[in-house]
Amino acid sequence: MPSLFAFHRIKLLVLFLVANLGLILHLSLGAVKPLSIWDPLDVAGEGGSAILVLVWICLLLKSRPAGRVTTLLFAGLACLFFSLWMDVIDEFIQLPDSVRWDGWLESGPMPVGFVLLTLGIYHWHSEQLAINLQMRNRERLYREHREFDTLTPLGGATYLRNQIGSSIQQAEADRQPLSLVMLDMDTFNTINRDYGQAEGDRVLQVVTQLVLLNLREHDLLCRLAGDRFVIVLPNTLESQAKVMAMEVSLAIAHLAYRTTGQGERLVLSATTVAVMARQESAEGLLERLNLRMAQAKQMPLARSA
Amino acid sequence: MSNAPARQRNWYERDARFIPAHHQPASLLDLALGRGIDSHRLLRGTGLFYQDILGGRQSVTAEQFLRLIDNVRQLQGGDDCSFLFGQQLLPGHYGNASHALRHAQNLQQALERLVLLRRRLSPLLTPRFRLDDRYAYIHWFDSCGVGGREIFLMEACMTAVTAMCRWLSGGPLPWQYQLRHPKPGYVEQYWVHLSEEVRFGCPQNLMRLPREFLVRPWSNVSVTVGQVAEQASLEELAAADEMAPSMLDILFEYLHEHIRQPLGLDRLAEAQGMSAATLKRKLKRHDTHFQQLLDQVRTYVALDLYVSKGFSSDEVAAYLNFNDKANFRRSFKRWTGLLPSDLPGSFA
Repeated sequence: MPSLFAFHRIKLLVLFLVANLGLILHLSLGAVKPLSIWDPLDVAGEGGSAILVLVWICLLLKSRPAGRVTTLLFAGLACLFFSLWMDVIDEFIQLPDSVRWDGWLESGPMPVGFVLLTLGIYHWHSEQLAINLQMRNRERLYREHREFDTLTPLGGATYLRNQIGSSIQQAEADRQPLSLVMLDMDTFNTINRDYGQAEGDRVLQVVTQLVLLNLREHDLLCRLAGDRFVIVLPNTLESQAKVMAMEVSLAIAHLAYRTTGQGERLVLSATTVAVMARQESAEGLLERLNLRMAQAKQMPLARSA
Repeated sequence: MSNAPARQRNWYERDARFIPAHHQPASLLDLALGRGIDSHRLLRGTGLFYQDILGGRQSVTAEQFLRLIDNVRQLQGGDDCSFLFGQQLLPGHYGNASHALRHAQNLQQALERLVLLRRRLSPLLTPRFRLDDRYAYIHWFDSCGVGGREIFLMEACMTAVTAMCRWLSGGPLPWQYQLRHPKPGYVEQYWVHLSEEVRFGCPQNLMRLPREFLVRPWSNVSVTVGQVAEQASLEELAAADEMAPSMLDILFEYLHEHIRQPLGLDRLAEAQGMSAATLKRKLKRHDTHFQQLLDQVRTYVALDLYVSKGFSSDEVAAYLNFNDKANFRRSFKRWTGLLPSDLPGSFA
């Protein structure tokens, strides 16, 4: 999304105009205070808050598509900014005593802003629940965007390690089995070599979608590295995990994938292995799973768990 | 080695323009462009322009290539950048040198050509091919002062050879890897792109596999095309006056040949026909110094004697002219991080 900012140009323009209007109103009626009675602490405190709120507004508009939630959040923050801005101007300009509305300009928008912001955050919460549903099988209980792989997009190896660690603890506490399945595409490097890296990337994205469709509610799919994926299966025995592993590799074998360029049919296949967690660390479990994969890869006939 | 003053140097240094920009730098560029990174930002500080690279006549220095690597690493992020880059490196699209590699009749010939044509095929790291009774080894050494990019380049070069062999031999080969750097947080990238047989914190950067894989014939190969391409590539290098190895290669060779004699910066400088101060400055520009160079060669020789030739600790000490055993043990620990007595089990 190159320029979400462009969507919001009018919002920013209105905020800018209103802020200026307030300034002009003050200037036209009042007189600039002499330097000696400026209060640096007030200026820094109120000015700093106003600037920070402006930064929030920019980040908000830069990161969110337009819509009801964005508008509410923006309106709330804009009111906060305006009342802080009036506060700052007040430090520099002395209005005659006859003027009464300046107090209203300072304190009026603040509560309105808070109410709008609260409404916005409430709807944001509902929106997030809807998005979580789309993220099903991609993340569990914990979110860290820096640990997400940008290509697929699934959790990366770091996210996986953390999740395995907490799943092991959870499994021990609940006295439930925990299994892992590893999936590695066969001859993936020839796809990269013959059809280019972009095609290879697309294969990974398609396979990711396909595998996600084969998972249960509480399972988690992560991309370990390259064409190797790991599925975390809580409350699952090794025998069940092996069945699931085989189902996944069958699903991949039956996928009629066609290349973007010529629509050429590529035959995909994947090797899958499954292990159950013992008394061991996340790293140890992952290493054992990986060794199992290496053994499976060396025996081409004994593919699929 | 003549001592004629101001003679033509028979080596090249890191500021020589000898890497065609449309070879390896271009494939790194394409990788990053494919991930949606802007070409201006990628080339910032390299003194290169995308249009010039497209022209196909631009050559770049090792320094410029390293700067490009820095930019890509910084802009692209991710742990798999070096591995993806490596996968595309060999045999590559570098004209005759690539053909020679593509049409090698077996692994041994491919590795020999990789070493022979390394100025085209592996401009930043020097591969060295070595055999003992059981294994074939490729050692990787810095050839132009790569500094902090050593890990990136080791990952890329080892992935390159691994991927090329897998392709040409029709299946994965049982390579084992030893790397000098400590185990990184992204070890899974090594598992996927190299193999499970990776060890970190080793004295040398090398990959090895059992000798019997060297001579297994490769299919879909034209021996004649390979021969002709090798010859043509050599002629091409000679015509461009690019036959000479890098400065660090030459110094390594010299130290390796004279390892049993007393060696010092002065003697090395004299043998290369320059003052000690000049050599010292040149080494510094290549991100190294005399002692580091000497230790590297001694490690190479000592481990070869221990592991491959079955020398005892005393015999190695005697070979390298250490009179004092304690001193040898201390030095050995400094080179390899291990005591000589720990060794037989460690790298056999």
